[in-house]
Amino acid sequence: MLLARVVMDNGTFSAAGLDKVLTDRNQLRAFWNSLLLATLVGIGGTLLGFLFAFTAARARLPRWLLTTVDAAVLLPLVSPPFTTAIAMIFSFGPRGLITYELLGIKGVTVYGLTSTLASETFTYFPIAYLTLRPLLTAIDSNVEGMARSLGASRWRVFRTVTVPLTIPGIANAFLLLFAASLADFATPLILAGNQFPVLPTQAYLQITGLFDLRGGAALSFVLLLPALIVFVLQRYWVSRRFYVTVTGKGAGQTTFDSVSPGVRVALLSACALVTLVVVYFYALLLYASLVMALGANHAFTLLHYKAIFTGGMQAIRDTLLIAAFAMPLGGLYGILMGYLVARKEFFGRRTLELLSMVNYALPGTIVGIAYLIAFNDEPLVLTGTALIIVACYVFRYGPTGIRATIALLSQIDKSLEEASQGLGARSGTTFRRVTLPLIAPAFFAGLGIVFIRSMTAISATIFLVSIGWTLITVKILENMTELALGPAAAFSVFVVVVVFAVIAAIGWCMRRLHAPGATRVTSLLS
Amino acid sequence: MSGDAIAVHVDGVSKRFSHRVKGEVYAARDVRLAVAPGEFLTLLGPSGCGKTTTLRMIAGFETPDEGRIRFGDQDVTSLPANQRNIGFVFQNYALFPHLSVADNVAYGLHVRALPAGEIEARVRDVLQLVGLAGYEHQFSSQLSGGEQQRVALARAIVIRPRVLLFDEPLSNLDAKLRVQMRTEIRDLQRRLAITTVYVTHDQEEAMAVSDRIAVMSAGSVVQEGTAEDLYYRPGSEFVATFVGRINLVPARLLGVDGDVATVEALGASLRARASAAVSRAGTAVRLVLRPESIEIVAAAGATLTAVVRSRMFLGEKTEYTLACGDITLQAVRHSASGVEHADEGATVGLRLADGALTVLPERDG
Repeated sequence: MLLARVVMDNGTFSAAGLDKVLTDRNQLRAFWNSLLLATLVGIGGTLLGFLFAFTAARARLPRWLLTTVDAAVLLPLVSPPFTTAIAMIFSFGPRGLITYELLGIKGVTVYGLTSTLASETFTYFPIAYLTLRPLLTAIDSNVEGMARSLGASRWRVFRTVTVPLTIPGIANAFLLLFAASLADFATPLILAGNQFPVLPTQAYLQITGLFDLRGGAALSFVLLLPALIVFVLQRYWVSRRFYVTVTGKGAGQTTFDSVSPGVRVALLSACALVTLVVVYFYALLLYASLVMALGANHAFTLLHYKAIFTGGMQAIRDTLLIAAFAMPLGGLYGILMGYLVARKEFFGRRTLELLSMVNYALPGTIVGIAYLIAFNDEPLVLTGTALIIVACYVFRYGPTGIRATIALLSQIDKSLEEASQGLGARSGTTFRRVTLPLIAPAFFAGLGIVFIRSMTAISATIFLVSIGWTLITVKILENMTELALGPAAAFSVFVVVVVFAVIAAIGWCMRRLHAPGATRVTSLLS
Repeated sequence: MSGDAIAVHVDGVSKRFSHRVKGEVYAARDVRLAVAPGEFLTLLGPSGCGKTTTLRMIAGFETPDEGRIRFGDQDVTSLPANQRNIGFVFQNYALFPHLSVADNVAYGLHVRALPAGEIEARVRDVLQLVGLAGYEHQFSSQLSGGEQQRVALARAIVIRPRVLLFDEPLSNLDAKLRVQMRTEIRDLQRRLAITTVYVTHDQEEAMAVSDRIAVMSAGSVVQEGTAEDLYYRPGSEFVATFVGRINLVPARLLGVDGDVATVEALGASLRARASAAVSRAGTAVRLVLRPESIEIVAAAGATLTAVVRSRMFLGEKTEYTLACGDITLQAVRHSASGVEHADEGATVGLRLADGALTVLPERDG
């Protein structure tokens, strides 16, 4: 908890360098660029996410298709941050498959707003999908059926009932995407180029390029403001506006026929197209990792994999080790904190919850710099150790477990625990025999998210790595800057495969649990 | 608001669903119903009997796999719900949570593109009618269950539907409110004279509101008639047990004369109403005996005697459990009908009220 506090204190600590940032034209431009990019990504990603969510919830897809779409949509979420960026360069770069090979355009530049926007939209729209889909599914089909029986056409039902009921979710999705884009540092670093500087990359360059810790901190502080506004909006405005549509007994087994056959085909085609693009990106990545040099020499080779398992072995070992340590700690942190906040009354409970969430909501760049500053001096000198990275992961990604635990506990009536006590169980026994099994899904959700992020995060940890401890994502970045795209692709493929395997394992554990709410929590694995 | 009520015909309608375990199952199987103009028909049955599916097909939310549905002379089988001009009231009210009470009620009028003045007037009138004047600007989350149900009702009738459909509208209300609301629904329907189909699993509710009741089981209509028909002349054990409480006593048929059967049961010879399936003398049959038609008299001189196993005084009535030989009978005596008093363990005489008995065959079929 101390850690979170330090993050907050970071603001006042670095305020001195603020004027410098605010008066620098270049940095000011970066600030507006960041906001513009985040807004556009928010809009584009939300639209795309809504399209997918609506199709999944309403177009009556066969089960296998739904699973396929889910998997394709989840890909970007579990990938290292550069994957779509790399694929963009492979496709549209100077020697890109599409621009050069297919269309024969020469001297094209892929760098700038458009490519960054496209890449971030494809990377982050799954967040909107995961936010909106449960909401659309939860809308009582009777409400839509009612509108229909009152004479409304399908389009009118959509316009006057479905969309208004989803507005809070849409706002929420927009804010999440806005925050994600604002915090994204990897994509712009690769795609934005000199023409389109944004804040997180500027802060990174300031620190790693110019060793100006104070300037970097100040830059990230500027980023803090919009991030906090988004956090506050999300927490205190959007969350109050959710309509409770679930009343009494469920709406029954039948769903209301809300999509006409023609629209259904259109929706499916649109989703198929986007899914195809996503799949294409990843296929390209896989292909690139298996040939000598994409665009120049398409001879099959395993050289890149050999490279990552020899030269890159340290990064792989370190990453897996750190992930393995952070995973159980993050899971435990999640359920303990969640349990404390949801079930126990004590002084400062709300503050505790808020602080733990702040760590989660802030852009990674800020968190990374804050950890760097906080643990650079006495009493805790952790910079350069694995511990600082583990701590960062646990506190930054553990809150997913906290949220899941709180959500689960709020569904579980307190009388269940009281019943156990009434049967003579002590509170320890009650926790172990009743509460713990019920919140086990949250524990696994916490495990999952911490592991995924440990494998894929970069924005915070790039500031925390050292010669002694490095990470795959950082290695990918190094490869990218050295234009060694093959090994970068190979690393990315490796990460995607490992993450998918672990998610599958966790999913299997969760299914074996049969705990209520397990499926709901699975959706939190975002 | 009473216009020209129309008849609703459901002609041999079936609906199949694919079930993960059981494969193809019939939710409704060859359902036939004829609802007269302005009539209040209730579909009564346990959950899963197909009553809601039938209702949803009448509404147009489901399309039947077989059979036709007609409103008056018009075949509406493939007409989408929004063109049928129906009023539907859901169990969970299905109010639009993002709209105020007035906007909820006005929704169907806006869809019909009525002039603003008329919409306003009609919303005001109908809210007055359901007793919600002054609630115009509230939201559904601020209303109680009963109030929400009134809004749902107002929203359904304000469009002057040809047919009014109710899907267990009172199930989410508490017992007192349920009784009150069913009276209101009944009165309103009488006043508006809109042809109505009502679905419930509560037999008392069905008897309270309906002109006619169709009892459904396993996707089919098993018996149709007025509440009295079903109560006094059940055609099967299912109907007999579902509508009211019964004692089912094994008996032997001695003879049938017209619709009067003579049976031997409880060690005595009794006269009972014969259902069509009972004819051959000497066969085993079952006797349906309503708890309230068992009268408790002095043991001396009575043809039937029993021992009082338990007695429960409930104010307006007293419930007895009686052992008559090795058969256990439930009896209900109303407090106003006499002062007979039997303690637990006492031996009493029984008299069966005339016309209270029905004979059913050994097996339903």
